[in-house]
Amino acid sequence: MSSAPGIYAGTANVIAALMLLLEFGMLRQALVRDQVRLYAAQSAMISILAIVIAADRDLPELYALAALSGALKVVAVPLVLRRLLGAPASEETPGVAGSYTLNPASAVLACIVLAAFGFFCFGSLGIHSGQAPALALSLAGAMVFVAFALMIVRRDVASQAIGFFSLENAISLASLVLAAELPLLLETAFLFDLLLAVVVFGMLIRAHHSRAESLSTADLSRLRG
Amino acid sequence: MSAAVPIPVIQLLQVLTVALGAPGLMGVIAKIEARLQGRRGTRVLQPYYDLAKLCRKEALAPSGASWFFLAAPFVAVAAYLTIPLLIPVLTTYGLPLGYMGDILGGGFLLSLASFVVATAALETGSPYAQLGSSRAKTFSAITEPVVLFVVFTVALLTGTDLPYALAATVRSSAGQVIRPAHLLASAALFMVILHETGRIPVETHTGTNEFGMIEEARSFEHSGPYFALLKWGSMLKQFILFTILADVFLAPWGLASTQRLGAVLLAIVALLAKAVAIGVAVAVIDDSFAKLRLFKITEYVSAAFLLAVLGVFTLYLGGG
Repeated sequence: MSSAPGIYAGTANVIAALMLLLEFGMLRQALVRDQVRLYAAQSAMISILAIVIAADRDLPELYALAALSGALKVVAVPLVLRRLLGAPASEETPGVAGSYTLNPASAVLACIVLAAFGFFCFGSLGIHSGQAPALALSLAGAMVFVAFALMIVRRDVASQAIGFFSLENAISLASLVLAAELPLLLETAFLFDLLLAVVVFGMLIRAHHSRAESLSTADLSRLRG
Repeated sequence: MSAAVPIPVIQLLQVLTVALGAPGLMGVIAKIEARLQGRRGTRVLQPYYDLAKLCRKEALAPSGASWFFLAAPFVAVAAYLTIPLLIPVLTTYGLPLGYMGDILGGGFLLSLASFVVATAALETGSPYAQLGSSRAKTFSAITEPVVLFVVFTVALLTGTDLPYALAATVRSSAGQVIRPAHLLASAALFMVILHETGRIPVETHTGTNEFGMIEEARSFEHSGPYFALLKWGSMLKQFILFTILADVFLAPWGLASTQRLGAVLLAIVALLAKAVAIGVAVAVIDDSFAKLRLFKITEYVSAAFLLAVLGVFTLYLGGG
């Protein structure tokens, strides 16, 4: 019988596993508004994890980070994304639904292989910080690869943007479990990076939509000045 | 202080609880489903009356069908009634016959029952029955890997694949309960159970629409007591799967740890309550989700497969 990790490590691992499952959910989801919802849920998980770590290791600044991250990633970014994708947000923008290059079941199977690679890579690095749950770190590694795959298998700007933002979630997860005592200033700088990414992707989405009347990148097959 | 119950009697009680509780569970789920759909629904005891009525009816067999057609329902029910001997139904400790098979043994018995029913359906020459068995076998082939990965997870967690060992592991500490591998394997098994009991993603277990029928279509040509056995068999299968989910994976609490009569009776009540709780969840899920097109089943199974595989990864590659 293999020994179980403690309650704190178990909770962190479960939250990380849920985040990975949400990443797979984004991969399978055909409609972009559902992807945005899943992204918000994934970001909420990060905030919850920050609170769990803050409570366990007595790091009060992580509460502030959880609140800041929640306000930004659970509320602001999804709101901006919905605005960008056109009003009313309930109507689907052309070029997004079903922009798969692989069918969903094959994409999931391919990503299972990628996730295994992520697990293997992060596992073989042998990083063990004091109380960091090693499994949560491996799950973050798997998430990074699945987020990349999401950007590759979907041919629309919106899904690619969400893939990029969830990649940032994966990195936040890794930094939280590995270096929870990172100064708040640095963590905030990461969040600021995300804001920049939102602005850049927002401009790209707008520019592409105004030119091509679609969010699909399938037609972008030639380089032009 | 209550009297001690002899071990063989407890072993028999395991089988009797499943055998007699299964139609009642079906009745409770049907009642809840009816209420969710705004209907009054039938009595909870209706499945018992249905089985009794069918047992009194005349049995007919299609011309050309061999002895196998008539033997299949008996073999199926016998296989289903053997499984409660192998799994923890009422006790935390292994009963003497509990170690004659592991989880894979139970899986083989479930497959054997399904195989004989499907073969008997093929014997009839009826297109619907054949369609049902063809679909059942095709889809069971794609859910098989999920079940295997769940078994692998159990093996990695406990170092054995005995159901009693996993239940004991889960009970051993809170850390084992919230372990991602355990939760992922349990979720994958739950998804397989939803599929195997004909709830989602494509089947309507109570419907008469041929396009949505898989398991139900196989018994089209059976009648009288033979049909009653097949119906009872599918109820037994549901109860057994719920018992495995509750007593091995999700909530192996409330089982008798001694031979005392009070503890055994309490275990029977606890098992029925757990089965009803799972039944309520299943009924709510069944009524909340739209049925998918038949060939979308691969997407559903791939989701279950994802959970089971991630469960193995977290243990084997992640070290959790």
